[in-house]
Amino acid sequence: MNDRYKAGTLLLAGAIGVLVATYGSLPTSTNAQQADAAWTQTRTAWGDPDLQGVWRYEGAIPLERPARFAGRESLTDEEVAQIQKVEEEQAAQRLAGAEGAAVARRSVGESPIRGNEYNSFWQDHGRPRQVSKQTSLVVDPRDGRIPYTPDAKKANERASARYGVGPYESFLDPDTGERCLTDGVTALMWQGPNGGHNRIVQSPGFVTILHEEYLDRRIIPVDGRAHGSIRQWLGNAVGKWEGDSFVVDTTNFIDRTNYEWAAIFTRPSETLHLVERFKRTSANSMEYRITVEDPATFVKPWTAVIPITRLGDDTQIYEYACHEGNYAMTNLLAGGRVDAAKKR
Amino acid sequence: MSTKFATLLLGVLGLASSAGPAVAHHAFAAEFDATKPIKLKGTVAKMEWINPHTWLHLDVKRPDGKTERWMIEGGPPNALYRRGFTKNSLPIGSELVVEGFRAKDGSLKGNGRELTFADGRRLFVGSSGTGAPRDGKDR
Repeated sequence: MNDRYKAGTLLLAGAIGVLVATYGSLPTSTNAQQADAAWTQTRTAWGDPDLQGVWRYEGAIPLERPARFAGRESLTDEEVAQIQKVEEEQAAQRLAGAEGAAVARRSVGESPIRGNEYNSFWQDHGRPRQVSKQTSLVVDPRDGRIPYTPDAKKANERASARYGVGPYESFLDPDTGERCLTDGVTALMWQGPNGGHNRIVQSPGFVTILHEEYLDRRIIPVDGRAHGSIRQWLGNAVGKWEGDSFVVDTTNFIDRTNYEWAAIFTRPSETLHLVERFKRTSANSMEYRITVEDPATFVKPWTAVIPITRLGDDTQIYEYACHEGNYAMTNLLAGGRVDAAKKR
Repeated sequence: MSTKFATLLLGVLGLASSAGPAVAHHAFAAEFDATKPIKLKGTVAKMEWINPHTWLHLDVKRPDGKTERWMIEGGPPNALYRRGFTKNSLPIGSELVVEGFRAKDGSLKGNGRELTFADGRRLFVGSSGTGAPRDGKDR
């Protein structure tokens, strides 16, 4: 797994905030659901389940199961309490302003912030991370690991090794995210800065999802039509309702396996088939389930269950004109020239 | 250090406590040199509110009296705004100490990791009002 995703998933930046001080402890997802036991699924004016609002992932669950939890699908209450304690300590460090000198210069693994190069001043710590018993987002295969093909495993290791390091000989060498293109549809609902912000808007016959980063948007017909034939970066999606679950089937991705990806599991190929299930579990929580099938990258399909959280009604999606301000592109190519000169 | 005359401290201090290479959500190690920490004291000349990262322009007076214009990479504007950061948070001309790492190519650029006002106040951290995350109140 790419370091960004390790750090991003394990130490998600948009995590801990002033609320810890305000509320005293972090909510577990179980508690959050219990609090809304009386909730029933609301409906749109035309009768569809209402999923609208801005959603993001705020969990503390790693994508793949860490080795220390091998063979276990859930944590004990004691382990949950321990993780919660760590989350609170990290929040307290941030609130005390200790993350710079005292924290951020420690190793990446120890740092409470995603990455090790920015302090929390630059990060959005608006809400506490939700601790839950789930040991990995991946629930199938049962070992909680993504079943890469041997070639994809190598590609993933290579991507991880070169992440942020290069070599950068051309504009093609940064990954698609660094190039302001996309990080792929597979992780759209739960990745991105601070857990991603996704606005779901419904109208009769359509569900639209606007992802803030790169302003990726998906306009999903829910009218029984078949897949279109045009291949696209984000594929061709068709949706349907199964009870209160919104099921999206996406195929016809364009092959971009030859591009650099921050995480190989998000790269599209012509054989990628993505099935997503959105099921609201309370006023402010949703179970988002994906099943990813692609013989170009995986030996068998895998499924992840991601709890996502609805943000307040006043939450907005903002501009993301990434290309226009991507000074990093020139900077990293300039840095690449320095590296190349040293090697001569 | 005088607050009137901004001072540039630029040195290879090393990262004695760093156990591993810096890993970023984008190409930190490609852009910046983790072995060249910088500490800049200067005045805010401009703040570029651009994606994917903000860039703070800082006028830094060298000990020899010359002024250099540094560019400091900051967090994503959307994240900053959600934290309560507005264009009034860093007025043009305000004195600031920035710590971070210098651009690999030696140009007057760096990333910003710590921001402190000249009087010692840290932005947002531990302060009320300006430090309160905006979208944290609605839970």
